[in-house]
Amino acid sequence: MKIRLVCSAGMSTSMLVKKMKEAAEKQDFEADIEAVAESQLKNHLESLQVVLIGPQVRYLEGKIKESLEPQGVKVAVIDQMAYGMMQGDKVLKQAIDLNEGN
Amino acid sequence: MNNKFMQKFIEIAGRIGSQRHLVAIRDGFVATMPLIIIGSLAVLINNFPAFGSFSIVDILNNIFGEGNWQTVGGSIWNATFAVIGLLISFTIAYNLAKSYEVDGLSAGLISIASYIMLVPVTEDFGLNMNWLGTQGLFVAIIVALIVTELFRLLIKANITIKMPEGVPEGVTRSFAALIPAMIILAFVGLFQAIVSVFVEISVFEVIFNLIQEPLQGLGNTLPAALVVAFLNHLLWFFGLHGTNIIGSVIEPVYLPLIEQNANLFQQGMSAFDVPNIVTKPFLDSFVFMGGSGTTLALLIAIFIVIRREKNHPYREVAKLSAPAGIFNINEPVIFGLPIVLNPVFLIPFIIVPVTLTIISYFALSWGLVPKTVAIVPWNIPPILSGYLVTGGSVKGIILQLVNLTVAILLYVPFVMAGVRAMKEKMGGQ
Repeated sequence: MKIRLVCSAGMSTSMLVKKMKEAAEKQDFEADIEAVAESQLKNHLESLQVVLIGPQVRYLEGKIKESLEPQGVKVAVIDQMAYGMMQGDKVLKQAIDLNEGN
Repeated sequence: MNNKFMQKFIEIAGRIGSQRHLVAIRDGFVATMPLIIIGSLAVLINNFPAFGSFSIVDILNNIFGEGNWQTVGGSIWNATFAVIGLLISFTIAYNLAKSYEVDGLSAGLISIASYIMLVPVTEDFGLNMNWLGTQGLFVAIIVALIVTELFRLLIKANITIKMPEGVPEGVTRSFAALIPAMIILAFVGLFQAIVSVFVEISVFEVIFNLIQEPLQGLGNTLPAALVVAFLNHLLWFFGLHGTNIIGSVIEPVYLPLIEQNANLFQQGMSAFDVPNIVTKPFLDSFVFMGGSGTTLALLIAIFIVIRREKNHPYREVAKLSAPAGIFNINEPVIFGLPIVLNPVFLIPFIIVPVTLTIISYFALSWGLVPKTVAIVPWNIPPILSGYLVTGGSVKGIILQLVNLTVAILLYVPFVMAGVRAMKEKMGGQ
């Protein structure tokens, strides 16, 4: 599953990406996860399934949804608590649930 | 907290944070940051202070001769920070064009060309370096925005040369920009001619005198620094990236102030005597230690207050946040504790930075601590950053330690209150 996390500079979100990858590995779940800046997002569109937005830039939600949802990409803001506690497993679950349309 | 008001606030902040032109300006500045930092470090090395009797500058002077080796750093400075206006005119145009999904490279080049058309020339027909740097920053921003808007309109209106099929894309693209570039440059040239006939001074001087200088004067005051600190933290309290949202307004005002300091420092002026107190490095290294809200102090306060309960949620968050916190990254503590929308932490989260801004301002203005003369990457840990931004002064470190202590003392009672509130909530369940 291809997931992209959007944040401002990619600093703290890349920590979360690491935790999510660990969680995916533990569950034997194949996931391609990366943190990117919003302006870079358009270079990652190929077979993109889920975009998760860092809570500190949640004002980008509308803009990203508008451009990506018509292409079938699921977009959501990362759960704030899970983001703060760097709970990779929870955020991964959020992405999976989102993709399955729950 | 009034929900409707909050929603409105977030909405407005969000609109500012994602406004196309402001984003282009901010990202334009971000793109030049590596060059700015390199130029700044070059100046720092050229003027590095001695440790007792050990002086790098003296050693290098003995080997290469004084003034010789410094030309390396000097020319790095001249090609980076000293021409930041020129660089910005490209990066902003590029980013804005990209956001419209038109050719960023062409827009950037036309913007640079337009900028140079307006730069005053010296008597022996050289470009006047004074206007290529921070003094030309506002012109650069205005030129980049206007040129790119014109470029986009002309491209979207299809005022371009069409190439037959089979012509390589690079060729097509350069011809697509031909007519828009011609129209824009002719327009800029005409404008320049009119201004020089009727006003008799350059566009640069007009904009510098009317807009940039007054704003900079305002920026270099305590009230302005307090407004910046307050707004930044209010935004973060709502969980929004404060520095990101106000960055497009802050950078053009504060970058020239640090450039002026660094430039005078490079010419041999002491860091005590340079003119500007409030700069971006001033806020970054004396106030935002561990990130916005001086959260490094909050982490330490948590470790002090909660010593026995190893598994207390606050302690867990603090432990998790500490490694990143040292490098001034604090999203984990802001969202995990959380500070966001948490009434317990609203007061210290705003009071601490405001207090530290006041302390630091007076420490510098009374000459107790040298002023900032260098930009360092924002994720350089406190202590080291205080030393570097003050041009290598231990007094910079001392101010950081004093500030940290004050911040810890201010945070401790609120951490205790938070612990108590949490216990009551648990007990009530």
